[in-house]
Amino acid sequence: MNRQARQCALAGLMLLAILLSPTLCRAREYLQLFVTEPYLELHTGPGRGYPVFHAVPRAESIDVLFRRTDWFKVRTERGVEGWASQADMLKTAYADGTPFKFDLGDRAGFASHLWEFGVMPGQYGGASLISAYASVSINPHLAVEGSLGQFLGRYSNGVTGDIGFDHVVWPEARCSPLLLIGLGEVHIEPKATLVQPANRNEPTAYVGVGLRFYLSRRFFLRAQYAAHYIFTTRTSNEEVDEWKLGLAFFF
Amino acid sequence: METGSRVLLLTLVVVALSGCSTVSGWFHHGTPKNASGSTESGGPNPVSAPDQENAPPRVVEPEVTRRQITVPRIKSSNFELGAYYGVLSIEDFGSQEVYGLSAAYHITEDFFFQGDVGRSRAGLTSYETLNGNLRLLTESERLFTFYDLSLGYNFLPGEAFLGRGTAMTSAFYILGGLGATDFAGDTMFTVNFGAGYCVVPSDWLALRIAVQDRVFQSSLLGTTKLTNNIQATFAVNVFF
Repeated sequence: MNRQARQCALAGLMLLAILLSPTLCRAREYLQLFVTEPYLELHTGPGRGYPVFHAVPRAESIDVLFRRTDWFKVRTERGVEGWASQADMLKTAYADGTPFKFDLGDRAGFASHLWEFGVMPGQYGGASLISAYASVSINPHLAVEGSLGQFLGRYSNGVTGDIGFDHVVWPEARCSPLLLIGLGEVHIEPKATLVQPANRNEPTAYVGVGLRFYLSRRFFLRAQYAAHYIFTTRTSNEEVDEWKLGLAFFF
Repeated sequence: METGSRVLLLTLVVVALSGCSTVSGWFHHGTPKNASGSTESGGPNPVSAPDQENAPPRVVEPEVTRRQITVPRIKSSNFELGAYYGVLSIEDFGSQEVYGLSAAYHITEDFFFQGDVGRSRAGLTSYETLNGNLRLLTESERLFTFYDLSLGYNFLPGEAFLGRGTAMTSAFYILGGLGATDFAGDTMFTVNFGAGYCVVPSDWLALRIAVQDRVFQSSLLGTTKLTNNIQATFAVNVFF
């Protein structure tokens, strides 16, 4: 009886120890990789100019703490922390021997992706324009896009909001034309010194053409022209030319 | 653009969009399915039908389930968010304190995007100071509010040493961009450019000292002129 009680108490203590031990209960916090080259160089900072201060020998493991741009902060088994470049990290392997892979974006992703964001300055009817857009792809050719812009001109300021479709003609090509069509709204604040006209909101529609050019990783250039029609309550509608050029990224 | 050209462009877009939902498979040619199996294509055919019939039945069916291993994700730390405080010299309106928020996204070790919003309050012009109670702007018009979207470039990266035991990574940077400034009852298109020095004392903290010029056209004092509004700021940013 006494022996049974002791065994029960021991089992209970062991269970408690297991429950309280964070290293045993918690899944591994950081990714563990193994050096497969003769050595892995660690730099003092996340940049090509920072000096190498440590070398991790082959077959030793490293914990990947986090990533900043193309650099990975790692910790060795001996507790040394340093920065390894992406090119060097791609020569390490997982515990099962498969090579480490990390997706920083490529042409295949450019051809077919879900989300796209960009900032594009330009001109809107002669006024300076600052705009940003986001799009979600239905298929590699077709995407739904929403954009917001602020135009600042000599005669009026305002804000535009558009939603529409983008058609990428050749998604696999590094440089491909785009076709754009959609609807929107514009808020116009006219500037006048003598008589101050009222601000107005008007519905708009646009049709346009553009060009996208893959730069590197997840980034590309985008340029576009769109003819905007502003449906006014007056006798005639207004036509506004919009030119934009900017940098965008996808993921 | 001429109306004829617009109609032509519209027609082109409508024709292209009407058919584009069907063209997703144009460039994704999968391997054609061969109905007669892999024998025609010369692929291996390890077990022929008579062999399968003659094979002895398995005594024990192995029930092996592969263990699912979840690989921890690598956290990225490319964003910076923080606040800044400094002095802004508004042309013709004296120097005042300026404060705001800034966010940055590091694209590569060299380039980063930065977005800022900030506010200051303009002081008095020399004309107002000399004329006693005369005021050119109301109190609300004196608020100087701005935003910028800029692209930055790190150059001269290095390390700053604090005593014998502490080394911090550092870099000089230049940046330039576009934005808008709301001042004196008007919103002006604004071009900004500047330079700064950044020190990173720990993995999550960045300290920045920057000088930035914000240039816009103003016609507030009668004639339209390009105004330079230079600011010097100290920023504390957190990486995440």
